Amino acid sequence: MSAKLYLIIPEIILVVGAVLVTVLGLSRAKALRDAVPGATVGLIILAFLSVFAVTTDERLAAAGLLMPGLVVYGKSLILLVSASLVLLGVGLVDRRLERAIGSGQVAFDPIRVQRGEHHAFLLLSIAGACLLCNAPDFIWAFLAVELVSLPTYIVVASSKSSRKAQEAAVKYFFLGALSSAVLLYGIALLYGATGTVELEPMRQALAAQAASGGISTLAIVGGVLAILGLCYKISAVPMHFYAPDVYEGAATPVTAFLAFIPKAAGFLALILVLDVFGWSGHSFTRGDDLYIIERGLPQPITALLWMIAVLTMTLGNIGALLQKNVKRMLAYSSVAHSGYMMIGLIAGPAGIDGVSGINATLFYLLSYAIMNVATFGPLASLERNGEEIETFDDIAGLRQRHPWMAASLAIGAGSLIGLPPLLGFWAKLYIFMAGLEAGQWHLVLVAAINSGISVWYYLRLINDPLVAQPTARSETVTNGPSIWPRAAAIVTAGLLIVAPLMLGRLVSAANGVTRGEATTAVAAPPTETVVSDASR
Amino acid sequence: MTHLATLFPSLPSALAGDGDAHGTAHRAAEGAAAAATWIGGATAHPEYSWAGWILLLPLLSAVFCFLCGAFRVKNKLPALVTIAALGSAFGLVLTLYLKYDPTHASGPMTVHLFDWIRVVWGEKPGQSFVADWSLYIDGLTLFWMLFVTGLGTLIAIFASEYMESDVGGNYCRFFGAVGIFLFAMGSLVMGGNLALLYLGWEGVGVASYLLIGYYYGKPTAVAAAKKAFVMNRVGDLGLLVGIYLTWRHFGSIDYATIFKACSETIANGSHGGDWTKGLIPYFLMLGAFGKSAQIPLFTWLPDAMEGPTPVSALIHAATMVTAGVYLIARLYPLFLLHPHALHTVAWIGGLTAFLAATIGMMQYDMKRVFAYSTVSQLGYMFLGLGVGTTFGACYHVFTHAFFKALLFLASGAVMHGFAGQLDIRKISGLRNVPGFKIVAWTMLIGCLWLSALPFTAAFFSKDTILLVAMTDESHGNRILAWLGLLTALMTAYYTFRVWFRVCGGETAYQPGDEAHGHDDHGHDADHGHGHGHSHGHAADAHGFHPHAPRFAINGVLLLLAVGAILAGLPGLIEFLKMGPNWAAEMIAASSATIGVPNLTEGLAGGHAEHAHHATVLGMDGHTAMFLLSTVAGFGGIAIAAYYHLVRRRAAETLKQALLANPLIGWLPRALENKWYVDELYDALFRYPIVVFGGHVLAWIDRYILDGGIINGIARIPAWIGRLFQPLYNGLLQGYAITMVGGIGLILAWIVYVWMKGGI
Amino acid sequence: MTTVLPSLASGLASVALAASDAVVSPADPRLVQVALVISVLLFVIGLIGFLTRRNMIMMFLCTELMLQAACIAFVTFGRMHMNASGQVFVIFILTVAAAEAALALGLVVLLYRKRETLSSEAWAELKE
Repeated sequence: MSAKLYLIIPEIILVVGAVLVTVLGLSRAKALRDAVPGATVGLIILAFLSVFAVTTDERLAAAGLLMPGLVVYGKSLILLVSASLVLLGVGLVDRRLERAIGSGQVAFDPIRVQRGEHHAFLLLSIAGACLLCNAPDFIWAFLAVELVSLPTYIVVASSKSSRKAQEAAVKYFFLGALSSAVLLYGIALLYGATGTVELEPMRQALAAQAASGGISTLAIVGGVLAILGLCYKISAVPMHFYAPDVYEGAATPVTAFLAFIPKAAGFLALILVLDVFGWSGHSFTRGDDLYIIERGLPQPITALLWMIAVLTMTLGNIGALLQKNVKRMLAYSSVAHSGYMMIGLIAGPAGIDGVSGINATLFYLLSYAIMNVATFGPLASLERNGEEIETFDDIAGLRQRHPWMAASLAIGAGSLIGLPPLLGFWAKLYIFMAGLEAGQWHLVLVAAINSGISVWYYLRLINDPLVAQPTARSETVTNGPSIWPRAAAIVTAGLLIVAPLMLGRLVSAANGVTRGEATTAVAAPPTETVVSDASR
Repeated sequence: MTHLATLFPSLPSALAGDGDAHGTAHRAAEGAAAAATWIGGATAHPEYSWAGWILLLPLLSAVFCFLCGAFRVKNKLPALVTIAALGSAFGLVLTLYLKYDPTHASGPMTVHLFDWIRVVWGEKPGQSFVADWSLYIDGLTLFWMLFVTGLGTLIAIFASEYMESDVGGNYCRFFGAVGIFLFAMGSLVMGGNLALLYLGWEGVGVASYLLIGYYYGKPTAVAAAKKAFVMNRVGDLGLLVGIYLTWRHFGSIDYATIFKACSETIANGSHGGDWTKGLIPYFLMLGAFGKSAQIPLFTWLPDAMEGPTPVSALIHAATMVTAGVYLIARLYPLFLLHPHALHTVAWIGGLTAFLAATIGMMQYDMKRVFAYSTVSQLGYMFLGLGVGTTFGACYHVFTHAFFKALLFLASGAVMHGFAGQLDIRKISGLRNVPGFKIVAWTMLIGCLWLSALPFTAAFFSKDTILLVAMTDESHGNRILAWLGLLTALMTAYYTFRVWFRVCGGETAYQPGDEAHGHDDHGHDADHGHGHGHSHGHAADAHGFHPHAPRFAINGVLLLLAVGAILAGLPGLIEFLKMGPNWAAEMIAASSATIGVPNLTEGLAGGHAEHAHHATVLGMDGHTAMFLLSTVAGFGGIAIAAYYHLVRRRAAETLKQALLANPLIGWLPRALENKWYVDELYDALFRYPIVVFGGHVLAWIDRYILDGGIINGIARIPAWIGRLFQPLYNGLLQGYAITMVGGIGLILAWIVYVWMKGGI
Repeated sequence: MTTVLPSLASGLASVALAASDAVVSPADPRLVQVALVISVLLFVIGLIGFLTRRNMIMMFLCTELMLQAACIAFVTFGRMHMNASGQVFVIFILTVAAAEAALALGLVVLLYRKRETLSSEAWAELKE
């Protein structure tokens, strides 16, 4: 028990920090209110450091996790990226209000300031995503997924005072509630089929079912519903319809946040669900017989994932082709990238030394997170007459007045295409190799064709800022109030170039996720818990 | 004979009683066999993983400099950090060198830093592409890194003062690029596989591009940067293909594996594989020619002088341009895969040396003269590689790095002081200008060394190359040696033409076109430079004061002069038969020895051997070369002294006379116009491409691509996208219904698959 | 074909049957079946309500209905397996539902102030 508590110390820091940040944001002193984003980033970094301080092998073993390797990799990925996502939003909230207070037009009113809550909600959402990494059971996982989602609904609604933001929030919330219900019903059916909500016993129970005549229909239906519910979080077809509208309506830094944190949480949860279904193979004894379950998912689940992956890639990319709004286009591209990542999920963990799909997905998630900040960063850090920039006209000829932002945008887009030296290329390469190794060559073919299509619209993100002539709109684009969004954009764009130098390190970090898991599976003697669970 | 003692003469030499070697083939076999033993001993040394900091420090300093730029640092902090980082890197290299004993038969060391690219699709060799961040450390690596980091540090110190008028964003940009360059050069030289070499190769290209185009406001600088970029791409493409073919034939791009396989095939005397294996050296060669500015890709280097002078010294004279030499020395065994590969290298090198020297004789821009001399000296190095003395080539790289950096920095000091003046006709008598004494006299040392007068460093290195070429059995190589001697004469002439013009004669000067910018500096109080140097030139009437160099520039010049002198020590020690040549020992302990015919040249034993059989003009080879070089060097200086010191008008008269002569009048014109090579390339490549691209492609684009096929295909996805557009109608219910409908359709699909029993 | 298609068509009722067959349960199988059918019906009613109603409060209540359907399923399965996990889960679902309710009502009030209507069709500015 205490092991679990130790392991969630980073999340406790984030949640306590959320309270702290709320109080800080209500302070009468402007300096304290201005310290809110800094404090948020500081807390995230503190949580990041604490991940390494509190995670030990013994505690991981005692916590009864399905995939202990996720704890360090997943949390450090989420925390590091979310620090840059918070930086993108510095200067976003309460800008006009603070200016009015500063000039004495408006008196300070704790009811009207929002900066504290905004950052507190971000922290809570991040804490939810981190909690998913060490979820031992479905109650935990469901609560974590909800903890990720609920704050984001509020953040979307309050991110801008325009109607668009509120419309985005209402769509996001209602469709999100629908998908949560689907997810929850799926979990209920899984519970019904196995009699437990804990992940490891559930996996063993399903393995027992598979050994004796196949996984029950109830479990399959439950799994399908749970996966479809989670598809909402990763904005995969058919649950992706909200994405373009919500991404367009929310303020750009919030959009960047939505494009990563819920997506990461969704993929982490999907990994858990799929692992429950015997993704990585399993062996156990019943009586005197040793049963070895072939690795691989039940066929209906594979078929489901296959169809979702193909549709997600295709609809995402062809949807993006038609867009004139950059944020909307990036929303579709985010959909498409979810599709690529699903290839890794279908490939699943590989054999002893092959390319593992799950590792490829996690590596892709990391790369996508960095590209995401690098592409949204310039949009978040520039403005036109106090409004955010979002059309291609706004970014045309950006190189002349904002060369760094133009470069960052172009590097981000190049990486999203998968141009060779950049990080995105390696991520795609690993995903494709994992797919090929798993024999999913038609899927890889579809992905390759889709990558070709995607070049068409990503090139505009390279061409417009770097080559095109400035338009009347882009001439009036100015720097935003804060330097931090720019810094985050430049640093992440630089990372896209530099990180491939450390490719081995990054990949082996992602590989660590399943390596530990594989050894425990091999090392653990076939115990009687399987038998007792199945007979209960 | 095949014992290790052959390679490492500090062990009791077995050579004396071992009789003569007859012919290159015999010697090649010995070298190969010995090297095979040696290479087989490549060992992993994880305890040296700190050597990774040699690469990391410059990179970190580059990042720091760019951050300084972002935060608008307006002082010399970037320079200090860069100097500290490069200095520490040099210290680390030195430590590594002291820990690495070339005479000890430990073989190359490999240091694995971390995994990088691991693409594996099968068990067999050739079914994987693995490139890790690993270092390959042997004599050649250390030899190169010593002068790269050492000179890098010195030049960074020089630049900290030289670039001070740019303090601010550009200063940060400059030192950031220098950091990137040192990182890339480090990974090029120290990397343990061809992928790292290629990474470094492109990295130094990028740094060079950034630095040539440093004054991006100047159209010529931008054009020069573009030219360097394009020409290097041609070479890099060759290198890339060469690496690919290497990987295809050896199943690996790891040096250790390649060399092992190579020394085995050389020892067995058979080259397996199909004919494409023979192409490997030619493609690699193309890469080397591009980077090291050899025919046909040499024209970018003189133009690269548009960059700041410290860059010219560091990148375009001392280090980066020698990467081609390094490539061939490092991959020497691969150049034995085709019988004519090395001959090609020798001929290209010899011809480039000659051609560049002829052009150098007629240039008036000081930096350009030295640029052509760099091309010419690089030609010597390739000649050395081609005739089989990797030691001679590498030693020449080493000595050249010092005196050429010295010359460039000295001309930089002149440029700095005289507001960008580089025309040798407009500055004279520098040795008497107050504050420029050190510049003038260190420049003289550089000139003497470049002219390869006896007992200078270049004398030992260049003559090793020429002697080996001269005593070779091949007629071709002997012709090249005589051509090289002629080139040496011309080298001495054009070098001293510069010195006599700029430093000799009466004191007179005109400032360059940057006069204004420098006058505004208001540094006069610090410099305390003299006056009374007005000699009737127009610019002096405006009160132009030369901007005398201060401590950093003078100090670096002196240090480089000392370095240039010391660089000759190993050769001198060998010459006086006091012991083996240090450089030869270093090179002998590396992959550059595998299959090298003239392996023992420079080593103590090799001397005895050569002395026995090598004769030139009926004399002992060394004596003959000594005499010939002396004649060539002093001859050139004498001509230069006559035309450019004693009777300067005579030079102009002679030129006019030559131009007027209908028979040879074309020659000086052609030389002044650099043999019209640029124009030739324009006619051959640029215009056809412009015409093709401008008209033909436009036609194809308009009538074929745009009209139908490609665009039609491209429209299909967009058309499908439009089909789905009504679904995104913005209505909450609409989305909900579509989602649920989608779920229904997918469930139906699953059921269908389930029933059918497979996708 | 004969076992799967009807099971989906009849709203998972027969799935519940299959489940009660598959797992030996000390609970009365008929009770379980009835409860599960109710749960499925509730879920479907909620879904249909969500898809057809335009009033945002009604839509929200429909999602609550779907969550409660899941709750019933959890309780039923908990009874069937004779363990408390289902019941524990329900407590947490109620908490989440309460949080969602607070959020939804706040959001709806905000939107009502802007447009003076509760219809979800009033919000369709963002579209292709």
